[in-house]
Amino acid sequence: MPPRYIYKLMLIMRLTTVILIATILQVSAASFAQKVTLSEKKAPLKEVFKELRKQTHYDFICTDELFETAKMVNINVRGVELKDVLDQIFKDQPLNYTIDEKTVVISTKELSFIDKAKEAVKDFFTNTDVTGRVLDEQGLPIASATVTVKGTSNATITDAAGYFHLANVDDKASIVISVIGYEKMETPVKANVGSIRLTIALSKLDEVQVIAYDQTSQRLSLGNIGKISSKEIEEQPVNNPLLALEGRVAGLFITQNTGVPGGGVTVRIQGQNSINQGSDPLYIVDGMPISAQNNLLTVLGPLGTSGGRLNGGSSGAPGSPLSFLNPSDIESIEILKDAEATAIYGARASNGAILITTKKGKIGQMKVDINLQQGVGHVTHELPMLNTQQYLQMRLEEKKNDNAAISATDYDINGLWDQSRYTDWQKTLIGGNAQYSDFNGSISGGTTAIQYLIGGTYHRETTVFPGDFNDQKGSLHFSLSGASTNQRFRFQLTGNFLADNDQLPKTDLTSTAILLEPDAPALYKSDGTLNWEPNSSGTSTWTNPLSLLLVPFLNKTSNLISNALLSYNILPGLEIKTTFGYNSMNSNAFQAQNVIAATKPESRLTTSRSASYSMGYSNTWNIEPQITYKKSIAKGVLNLLAGATILQNNTNTSLLSGSGYNSDDVMQSLSSATALSGNSVISQYKYNSIFGRVNYNWQDSYIVEATARRDGTSRFGSGNQFHDFWSVGGGWIFTSEDVFKKDLSFVSFGKLKASYGTTGNDQIANYSYLNQYNNINNIVAYQGIASLAPGGLNNPNIAWEETRKLSIGADIGFLKDRILLDVSYARNSSSNELLSYPLPAITGFTSVFQNLGATVQNTSWEFVLNTINIKGKDFHWNSSFNLTIPKNTLTSYPGLASSTLVNTYVIGQSLNLTKAYHFLGVDPATGNYIFSDINGNPTTSPIANRDNYVLIDLNPKYYGGVQNSLSYKNLHLDFLFSFTKQKGPNYIYANPQALAPGSFFAGFSNQPITVLNRWQNPGDMTSIKKFTTSSLGSIPSSDAYYADASYIRLKNVSLSYSLPDEWIKRVHFQNCRIYLQGQNLLTITNFNGMDPENLSGSSLPPLRVITVGLQVGL
Amino acid sequence: MQSINKNYRAFTIALLLFMVINWEGCKKLVTVDPPVTGVNSQNVYNTDATAVAALTGIYANMVVSSNSLAAGAQSISTFCGLSADEFTLYSGVSATSNSSLYYKNQLAVNSSPSAGGEFWGGIYGTPLYSCNAAIEGLNASTTLTPAVKQQLLGEAKFMRAFFYFYLANLYGDVPLVISSNYATNASLPRTPKAQVYAQIIQDLKDAQGLLADGYIKADGQSLYANGSEQRLRPCKSAATALLARVYLYTGSNYADAITQASAVISNSSYYSLPALNSVFLANSKEAIWQLQPVVTGHNTEDGWLYVLPSTGPSTSYPVYLSPQLLGSFEAGDLRKVNGNWVNTVTSGGVTYYYPYKYKSATLNAAVTEYTMVLRLGEQYLIRAEAEAQLNQLSASILDLNVIRTRAGLPGTTATTQAALLTAIQHERQVELFSEWGHRWLDLKRTGTVDAVMGAVTLAKGNSSGWNTQQQLYPLPLGDIQKDPALVQNPGY
Repeated sequence: MPPRYIYKLMLIMRLTTVILIATILQVSAASFAQKVTLSEKKAPLKEVFKELRKQTHYDFICTDELFETAKMVNINVRGVELKDVLDQIFKDQPLNYTIDEKTVVISTKELSFIDKAKEAVKDFFTNTDVTGRVLDEQGLPIASATVTVKGTSNATITDAAGYFHLANVDDKASIVISVIGYEKMETPVKANVGSIRLTIALSKLDEVQVIAYDQTSQRLSLGNIGKISSKEIEEQPVNNPLLALEGRVAGLFITQNTGVPGGGVTVRIQGQNSINQGSDPLYIVDGMPISAQNNLLTVLGPLGTSGGRLNGGSSGAPGSPLSFLNPSDIESIEILKDAEATAIYGARASNGAILITTKKGKIGQMKVDINLQQGVGHVTHELPMLNTQQYLQMRLEEKKNDNAAISATDYDINGLWDQSRYTDWQKTLIGGNAQYSDFNGSISGGTTAIQYLIGGTYHRETTVFPGDFNDQKGSLHFSLSGASTNQRFRFQLTGNFLADNDQLPKTDLTSTAILLEPDAPALYKSDGTLNWEPNSSGTSTWTNPLSLLLVPFLNKTSNLISNALLSYNILPGLEIKTTFGYNSMNSNAFQAQNVIAATKPESRLTTSRSASYSMGYSNTWNIEPQITYKKSIAKGVLNLLAGATILQNNTNTSLLSGSGYNSDDVMQSLSSATALSGNSVISQYKYNSIFGRVNYNWQDSYIVEATARRDGTSRFGSGNQFHDFWSVGGGWIFTSEDVFKKDLSFVSFGKLKASYGTTGNDQIANYSYLNQYNNINNIVAYQGIASLAPGGLNNPNIAWEETRKLSIGADIGFLKDRILLDVSYARNSSSNELLSYPLPAITGFTSVFQNLGATVQNTSWEFVLNTINIKGKDFHWNSSFNLTIPKNTLTSYPGLASSTLVNTYVIGQSLNLTKAYHFLGVDPATGNYIFSDINGNPTTSPIANRDNYVLIDLNPKYYGGVQNSLSYKNLHLDFLFSFTKQKGPNYIYANPQALAPGSFFAGFSNQPITVLNRWQNPGDMTSIKKFTTSSLGSIPSSDAYYADASYIRLKNVSLSYSLPDEWIKRVHFQNCRIYLQGQNLLTITNFNGMDPENLSGSSLPPLRVITVGLQVGL
Repeated sequence: MQSINKNYRAFTIALLLFMVINWEGCKKLVTVDPPVTGVNSQNVYNTDATAVAALTGIYANMVVSSNSLAAGAQSISTFCGLSADEFTLYSGVSATSNSSLYYKNQLAVNSSPSAGGEFWGGIYGTPLYSCNAAIEGLNASTTLTPAVKQQLLGEAKFMRAFFYFYLANLYGDVPLVISSNYATNASLPRTPKAQVYAQIIQDLKDAQGLLADGYIKADGQSLYANGSEQRLRPCKSAATALLARVYLYTGSNYADAITQASAVISNSSYYSLPALNSVFLANSKEAIWQLQPVVTGHNTEDGWLYVLPSTGPSTSYPVYLSPQLLGSFEAGDLRKVNGNWVNTVTSGGVTYYYPYKYKSATLNAAVTEYTMVLRLGEQYLIRAEAEAQLNQLSASILDLNVIRTRAGLPGTTATTQAALLTAIQHERQVELFSEWGHRWLDLKRTGTVDAVMGAVTLAKGNSSGWNTQQQLYPLPLGDIQKDPALVQNPGY
């Protein structure tokens, strides 16, 4: 028994003079294989040990009595493994040795009579009791490894210290040790096989995948899981880890909604499941769930939203909460998609789950890592707009067409503005270079008892706008883990803290840059002040765009995510553990509304300065006690998990509006406001559940799994607070069948898997089931008292949205897994959709919240192909390809015809739908647009909600990415192309403001050059209407306004060079790497807007960022 | 042995911890306290303070922004004034905006652009629901101070009557919703106007019995000292004044109208007729019920909208007085004198006349004016008209002349019943202009709407002319679709 073994050792140490040729803690990061060079003639064994210790750092335990029996040693070896050297030394000695971890223990070879007899008996029966110990590469014991006598059901599980004991093993058999993430190890049977070190699996199939409450590998997983590791994240100069996922994971569609730092990012896993509620995945950082929407920031600023809806609100919250997590602290991100992987998260995982694991310390000498990165970002594409000459021609032609005189307010053509001016406003306002800096340092190391990592990062980004705007982030990450001496009790503590100071203009200038007239006035007057170009009566003729930059937006956010894990190994295979998580996000934002310096001079007297302040915190704690049990039963291994979750969130945000300041400079201070009014959102969310999982793996051939979870949430009224979710799954690794081993060996791996289960969605506002009277905000108190108004009709019966997920997949590896292909098909059907049930206004409200029988179905075909193309001595080339073909369908919606959404949705069509008129062209006689009415007859004025019969699905048809990774000696090149096939709005007919070409509305009138192709004279055959101020009409609601917006983008390139070892050694570095990285480098598209990714005419497109960097390990 | 004991101890502790956490009670772990940012509807009418706050919310919401029922660009005063012949709409306002559709008598709800259903939603929406919920909540409550409960019940019934008065006059037959139960209300049909009026009269009579005989402070029970009252909550006189108007409108209860109006007029300790420029001040002696402005930095929203800046009308200041109204003032009428109830601005060589009853439109100026809802002047005109209808001509002339005298005009020259009724209508036009759509409602109830609007609609730029069906506003399309029992007004 292992403890007794240690006990005996201690006894030996105490009773005799111990020659401990060792220091107490000898730790080296060197690899397991110890090469020895030794040349001795007639040397005493003691001296030889001293020399060996010096070379290998192995300790030797031997008593003086034993040394006395030893013979002199003759040996001459060069670069031979320690074990072989020892075998040679002990060949003629009356002594024997065993290696326990990094210690060599010497004992006598002579056996007692009884032992001899035992041996004889054993030999006769050829059966042995086997003991041993399983260690990882670093020498840490591996608990719960499976140790099996090959081909039998005789198996066991290692204990907390990695020890195992197998009784009655056939002498000629071998034992197999397997643990997820390590190469399988096979070793012949011996009474004591000693310490067995496993090596980390290199094959992609055996890489560790983090899953809910456990780990698995692609080989054994039944779920549909995508993974991105720190290597891929570090190669990308991104300020939000979500952006590092773009194009890399099948079934995951990510949109960067704006290029403004800290801006919103929309994430959809296998499509939009909820019609009206949140469709964000569940984010879990080191076991701690964090909010998918930044529900603290109540002033929008220029950040854009993260898509979808915030807890039942009408739109998403500003920015992305994941931008408050430092990408370089992340070890891996796993994307869980199907029921098998997510059902254990129950009510929160209907939209999939994204698990983020941060970096942990590793055993070894203290290691210092420094990474410095610096670069620039800029807008890649200018929307081609009219120049001054073309613009003036358009305006004058409009006057002629409309038979209108040039009026006193036609500043652009009546002489008030200098018509010889031309400004490329896109270049002026959004053409700048954003500086990108990222400095990161970390210290890590550890012993078998404790491992640590501390890292700090400073990140700064400026903007492409003129002026001094920037986003600065400082972050700290730490991880500490350790174990008791007997390895039974373990702990792990991780913390991530980030403080962000985002200073931006309140207004994103992109829209202004596109729309501003090319002959608009100069920005500055000759005296250096802002030019408002007043007319004769002193009225400003334009809004100087630089005045928009005088209105500040400031957001200071700090985010702490910390997690503690305590575990105790009770018996081999039986472990009890609890995680304690805490997340605290604090946000403090300021946004000015009316700043006098930014106000037209003539309006300054009647304008009151006003500003908004948003202050809030959201604190969440999460406790998850769990019991896991692993046991080998028959020829398989049974894994059991039971646990519970207790989560509570308290959110408190205040929005204050101030007015009456006496200066622009004091507006950040509440005390400067003469009038203040406020609005508070204070809410509490509680969530509680119990869950369990059963997994049985029969010889890595047949795997079945079932999960169940019972969830309770405070977001629903009593009676609907609890709900059960479940899943079942199964997999068959068919390559374990003999036929594949013999005749079809080119198929090196093959697995079929299927799962089915349910998940839920509780992403609705807190307290929705209650009928509330709310204070009427932002008013002067009527009669001096606060007043209340009913907040809406209550429905205490609202309940969970439920998604049933079916997933079928196959993983196939060819040619020793050099080619790995995954194909999966998912069908997710979401029902019980929480929707506003429309009511006539006579009831007091126009809707009441109800679970309706509406059903949304998302299907997705996903293909992932990983290949190792070339694997030479110096040259490696790997490729990875992924493709997703999604389909989103509203399958049913009772009462759609009478609901307010009747013109938004069509049963049988996608949720992301536009109903458009059919465009027939321009009437050659009149120059007006003509459309087809519902009966196919041409009309110039189609009727809303009747003639818009063309259905345009704006969801992507397919998307994916191709990644290649090449390395030659020390040079490494990675590049990723992402692609999307989709439709989007186009700007051929008018600018994104949809102002009719020819009209003038100062600051909004420039048009894309495509409008030059307009109708001029009767008989002209063209697609653009004549220039006229009369409204653009129905063209923006027609099918002509949507066009192909597909694109292929060189999303990321990373080129790095590791300095040669000789050079590194000379300067005492562990490694040194210089690199060049780029994001959004090249886009191939027919889309004629600014950017086919965010498809926006008013938000800054994702920037092209190019950085150079240096990474040094000390 | 010792280590085994230790193990057992650790195991037991761990297991206990696990069990405690796990079975401590799932139910309790998902139970949250009610939110602190609002009051649960069941509790609103449990305390005096929250009950008063709920009724106060109804008044505050009437003027909560520049687009409320009683305030600004989409108010009853503005839209009804545009529909009738009181206002001219600035030419730069888009032809598809709802103010333009009201102005040109081109309301429509089943095509784009659409307008006409604003007050349907604006009244049936929270205001009327709040009244019904209040009446139910107050009746069920056992914890309120009896005096508070009585006053608030009176206020709720008064407000319900007030809202139904406008619904019936703007839309004709309307569904009579008198509970907060959405399940049954969602399928109600329209109720004949007479029945709606019966409900209004009943509610007002109830309110008279319940409301205090003076102005109540924000505590819901104590009266202001005489002379320093804030006339911000409906009192018994408000119910009486509205009842007088309702009797006049129903056309068959002139004697009752006289009785009710007289009750207010004779209450001279509270009410009298001040000089023209003091009528619309806060807590004016003429006010029977006023609304306090609640938009930060603003006096009344009517003042904010109607008082034109030196640059003249614009899309932000889109209405000014119509030539029809200006032409109807008699020579020497003080109300039309610049700086009294009318003022002018000259911009681009054009002189624009605008309502100047409310004069304060300066940001952050001290609040000196309240939005007038019911005032004594109207009561004199109600009584005069009812008396004329009952052929009590001399009494009628006396009442009419009270109003004319304040306006600096000589006594009326009308001597016959018909001439006197005409004179009273004329007096109402110039006395009550820009207030609560009086002109629009008067044209309709006196049957003169077709005769007057025929010319006016054309003059306002609607080349297809007046369509008599436009005198009832259309029901919003959404309600017609969602409540199959509802039938649209003819012509829409």
